Amino acid sequence: MMQILMFYPSAVIAVITTLMVIFSKNPVYAVLYLIMSLFAVSMVFWSLGSPFLAMVEIIIYAGAIMVLFLFVVMMLNLGQRRVDEDLRPPSGKALILPGIFATILLVQTIACLMAGHPQGGTQLLNDPVALGHAMYEKHYLGVKLAAIILLIGSIGGMHLGRAASFPDTKEKDLL
Amino acid sequence: MIPAYHALILSGILFCIGIVGVIARRNLLFVLMSIEIMMNAAGLAFVAGSAIHGSYDGQIFFIFILPVAAAEVAIGLALALLLYQKYKTLDLWVIARSKEE
Amino acid sequence: MKDFWHVINTLPQEQWPPLYSAIQSLILGGVIVGALLSAAGYLVLLERKVLAWMQHRVGPNRCGPFGLLQPLADVLKLLTKEDSLPPFVDKWLFIAAPAIIMLTAILSLAVVPFGQPQWLVVKDLNVGILFFLALSSLGVYSIVLAGWSSNSKYAALGGLRATAQMISYELSMSMSLLAAVMLAGSLSLNKIVEAQSSLWFVILQPLGFVIFVISVIAESRRAPFDLPEAENEIVAGFHTEYSSMKFALFFLGEYVAVVLLSFVISTIYLGGYHGLFDIPYIPAAIEGPIWLLAKVGFFIFFFIWIRATYPRFRYDHLMELGWKYMIPLSVLNLIATAVLIILFPTLGGHK
Repeated sequence: MMQILMFYPSAVIAVITTLMVIFSKNPVYAVLYLIMSLFAVSMVFWSLGSPFLAMVEIIIYAGAIMVLFLFVVMMLNLGQRRVDEDLRPPSGKALILPGIFATILLVQTIACLMAGHPQGGTQLLNDPVALGHAMYEKHYLGVKLAAIILLIGSIGGMHLGRAASFPDTKEKDLL
Repeated sequence: MIPAYHALILSGILFCIGIVGVIARRNLLFVLMSIEIMMNAAGLAFVAGSAIHGSYDGQIFFIFILPVAAAEVAIGLALALLLYQKYKTLDLWVIARSKEE
Repeated sequence: MKDFWHVINTLPQEQWPPLYSAIQSLILGGVIVGALLSAAGYLVLLERKVLAWMQHRVGPNRCGPFGLLQPLADVLKLLTKEDSLPPFVDKWLFIAAPAIIMLTAILSLAVVPFGQPQWLVVKDLNVGILFFLALSSLGVYSIVLAGWSSNSKYAALGGLRATAQMISYELSMSMSLLAAVMLAGSLSLNKIVEAQSSLWFVILQPLGFVIFVISVIAESRRAPFDLPEAENEIVAGFHTEYSSMKFALFFLGEYVAVVLLSFVISTIYLGGYHGLFDIPYIPAAIEGPIWLLAKVGFFIFFFIWIRATYPRFRYDHLMELGWKYMIPLSVLNLIATAVLIILFPTLGGHK
């Protein structure tokens, strides 16, 4: 019962706020709507029985990644009473093709799901300790790969950031 | 008890919204945000799968998606800053059409 | 009523009926919020008194005996001031920003255990530490949005500074917490306190403790890390445009955060509600909160003491300290703890 009370409202909020991200004009508001959408998805995680992932979603997505977006928006000073051509929400012709693609995909997904296996309900797996054991015992290679990806990401970010902050160095030819 | 495929349908809807955003928006920041939406939707599908099959593997794969998303954002935003320095705009149409010197 | 008392005293929290759980959460949460908000007012007075004492001044002493009514006077002053909403601000975010900081600071207290019986924690989540980290990482939005929505250069600079600072110190903070989690073998704050019944983690984790305390001061943006509101560089930083009660919310939010962080430090490193000795003639249920509040009181004093002692950092030094010293040291601490647990398996949480 509690699960259903959490799941459906969160799902509706997630869909609405995600739509608002796509159709908002101001980057800061878009980031905030995306944060709300992430919150809603995090509540969906909780209702699916994973409080650990719900918290991780908020800490990493809402607490770190979205802050980076906000930081860049503030640095570029976008969205302060400026209505540029490129910030206008998509409308009319621009939406026809992506709309068709997305509808086809969605219909196919739902059709497959209705016809296919995943009948029945969901099980609650909410023990972070068991999650940790499964992760480090069965998927230790994945943990290492994730670490390497993060290392590559930080090296790449530093390299590009150097080029951005010291335009006179040789990295200026990166683009 | 939530029917299992409802969570998967939610993930499909979010993913499709992300696709529309990637194709229809002109500003690089919005495109990056739409990619985040799509990654998050994929993660939701993994978690739902974990709940359906009663194993922790799906949740673990969501944890593996997080560093990918973080690294992608770090590099994507650094590139966005560089592009802004060079073209003074993040409008992808302008950037795509400008001739390389 | 008798059944309620019996259930919440004997059964573990997750087996309580939802109604009992809701009643307990509401009552305890209400008591905590009320106590916290009135304590925050007196904390302002305490800080002014202690600072005055350390600087050989007298401090506020006009309102009531020893200035004890000063918080009331402050509140009256702030409430009756004009609450101006500058025409150039983004209205909704400008109003929401001060609310966010109070909300995130107060909500975190829901997972702190106050004593031995389990009705003394509002909700014993099995991911309690992550709940605290999630809310503290959301606190940064308050500052960023205040900076952005003010639409003024000083506020924007303060917001940018706060973002960079809080992201950097969050890493070392969570990394040092992780070592404590490894020792306790659980993410629940209650389990972490129980794991310290014989030995406090400050003895096993001296480095982690120091890193955590420094990161926490940086996270709460107090001196010597108060760069986002450095008044001689950027006027008042992110709250330049705020006045009256909205300013007061930022002001009180800082003190609520100080109380909260003192609670977290004492819970994770100083044994929480475990005392050094049994206090005679006092029931066990009250003894825990007394010890916890004593530790919290010490840390609040410690925060003020630090503020009176150290000058403000320079911005590049702040970033250097965070990225070049705190984060490597916290990783080192994590590895050392792992080695320690492998060498002495009785220390680890899961035996």
